[in-house]
Amino acid sequence: MLPVSDFKVGKKQDFNFIGKIKVKILVIAAISVVGLFMAQLVFANKLATDGQKLSLIEEEIRNLEAQNLTLKVSIAQESSLVSISKKAQGLGFEKPSQILTPQSLLD
Amino acid sequence: MDRIKLFQISAFIIVLIIIFRLFYWQFLSGLRSTQDSSLKESEIPASRGEIYSSDGFPLVTNQEAFLIYAKPHELDKKAQDIAKTLAPDLISEKYATNPAGLNEEELKKKEDEIKQKMEELTKKLENKNLFWVQLARKVPLKVKEKIEKSKITGIEFERDEKRFYPEASMAAQLLGFVGFDKFGSDVGYFGLEGHWDRHLRGKNGRLGQEQDPHGLPILVGQYKRIEPKKGTALTLSIDRTIQFIVEEKLKNAVEKYGAKDGTVIIADPQEGTILAMATYPTYNSQLRIEFDEKLYKNTAVADTFEPGSTFKVIAMAAALDLSAVDPSTKCTICTGPQKIGGFEISTWNKKYYPNSTMAEVIEHSDNVGMTFVSEKLGIDKFYDYIIKFGFGKRTGIDLQEEQAGSVRDKDQWRPIDVATASFGQGIAVTPIQMVQAIGAIANGGKLISPRIVTEIKQNEKEEKTKPENAKQIVSTKTASQITEMMVNAVEKGEARAFVPKGYRIAGKTGTAQIPIAGHYDPDKTIASFVGFAPAEKPKFVMLVRFTEPSSSPFGSETAAPTFFSIAKDLFNHFGIPPKE
Repeated sequence: MLPVSDFKVGKKQDFNFIGKIKVKILVIAAISVVGLFMAQLVFANKLATDGQKLSLIEEEIRNLEAQNLTLKVSIAQESSLVSISKKAQGLGFEKPSQILTPQSLLD
Repeated sequence: MDRIKLFQISAFIIVLIIIFRLFYWQFLSGLRSTQDSSLKESEIPASRGEIYSSDGFPLVTNQEAFLIYAKPHELDKKAQDIAKTLAPDLISEKYATNPAGLNEEELKKKEDEIKQKMEELTKKLENKNLFWVQLARKVPLKVKEKIEKSKITGIEFERDEKRFYPEASMAAQLLGFVGFDKFGSDVGYFGLEGHWDRHLRGKNGRLGQEQDPHGLPILVGQYKRIEPKKGTALTLSIDRTIQFIVEEKLKNAVEKYGAKDGTVIIADPQEGTILAMATYPTYNSQLRIEFDEKLYKNTAVADTFEPGSTFKVIAMAAALDLSAVDPSTKCTICTGPQKIGGFEISTWNKKYYPNSTMAEVIEHSDNVGMTFVSEKLGIDKFYDYIIKFGFGKRTGIDLQEEQAGSVRDKDQWRPIDVATASFGQGIAVTPIQMVQAIGAIANGGKLISPRIVTEIKQNEKEEKTKPENAKQIVSTKTASQITEMMVNAVEKGEARAFVPKGYRIAGKTGTAQIPIAGHYDPDKTIASFVGFAPAEKPKFVMLVRFTEPSSSPFGSETAAPTFFSIAKDLFNHFGIPPKE
């Protein structure tokens, strides 16, 4: 049978150990909560002010898309047969009366 | 009461007020804010699909354009002054974009139009009860930039894309155009734009986004975006080079022969695809409002006419297919005019060729000879073949305004109707129906519905359109016999002088009088020529048609020379050398 004093000491040591863990968990949780809260504040603050940046980026995308469209239209207009034939006529080109193909040369 | 208690009560009341305020912001005010302007719901317009020619060149594309609107209560200048600044740029494009090329009369019209526009704008801008008023739509970028420079507060812009045609008026009637429906949305009218409108228009997207008081997006707020779906892009079978050649030649020919209008259709007989389709006079799609609305319709598919002698080929093919006649069968009634049901049938030049063979009947374009053929055929069989060749119903070509033509019900046919139909009178067809029918002969007797769109592209996914199943309407032997008759008609016919040397072309001229109020107009005709080449392995089938040519009423002197002139260019284009 164990002495009474030994039993009491053992029980007291066990209680302290669990208590320490509980305190540590509480401290870690509290730090985490505060940390996450702060992080949320920082990110939310950053995101809220990023609205302006997003707006600028969207504006830039719109401008680039519009420029692309304008360029596409200009390329199509310049390479159209209507435009090319006018230029060719201006440069003195004439329509061929006969076109020679490899097949026609063989025949 | 001691000070600590007083402090505790004050603190409690303050906390209660804060909690109540937070509750109000979180829940009560939140309910209202869903309908608030802080959540901006806007439509993202979808771009309309482009239309490409067979070489991948955009015949129709989109151009940046804008809708101009005003907020009358925000305007910082007098309505009249603003109207004066805006009006010269918001009149019709013809006057707004080309001030140097205008003659005196046009300059006067321009001034009148500016005046009208000023009055209209002033009226709109003076109405301060309106929060928003639309001033103009589809305004080009240049005009927008010019107006922006004027720095007028209360005048704003919104994206409003516009169709652009790099090849100007090329294939205008075939393509159709985009206008507005009753709700102000873009909608396609006529031609491909009309037929393929649901595919081309795409689907508008939506953007729901919370905004701060400055109108900037709040990223931690609500954000809902539905992407717009761009309209389907179409690739056509139209060969841009052939279309260009045809339009140029057709314009010259209509002017040369003094015709009211002209139509040319060129198709690939094996695939049924349309290579070119042109009508003159035409209109410029960009400035269509300046043109007569009658020009919007594509006469190649919407106009019906009596085909005249070109239809003899159909009647003869039916008779050959039924073995009612063969190419060497002799006409026993071709000695002179024939009387049927009280009507006299004579030849176009009053010349008669007794004992002509069937090949000679086609060669001489002999109406009496065709009466002989129709008698051999009879009403029932001839009618069945007319329907088999696709007359009296739409061909199914992908153009909105296609008409079915007119073939009377079988029970209404009298013997005289069979006789006149055998040489193409008393029956109304569309030019595209003629091309489809002659294409069947060129294709060994197999009839294929004509089509223009060969590929549709949606979200990088390409899908080829398939031709309808070909229907064997006459035997290969019949097709080959009638082809030889058509070659003979070209080589020995009235227009033989125009035929390009070294090529075997199958064709038939047609000169049909125009029915007016129960009788035929003695002076007005529709001149046409239909055929295909090279006869042994056809690369194209073509129809040329002129309405009321004034230089000569005959197809052999107007439509045939145009056909051969275009054919010559097509031989070069396809690299087909002459045989001799």
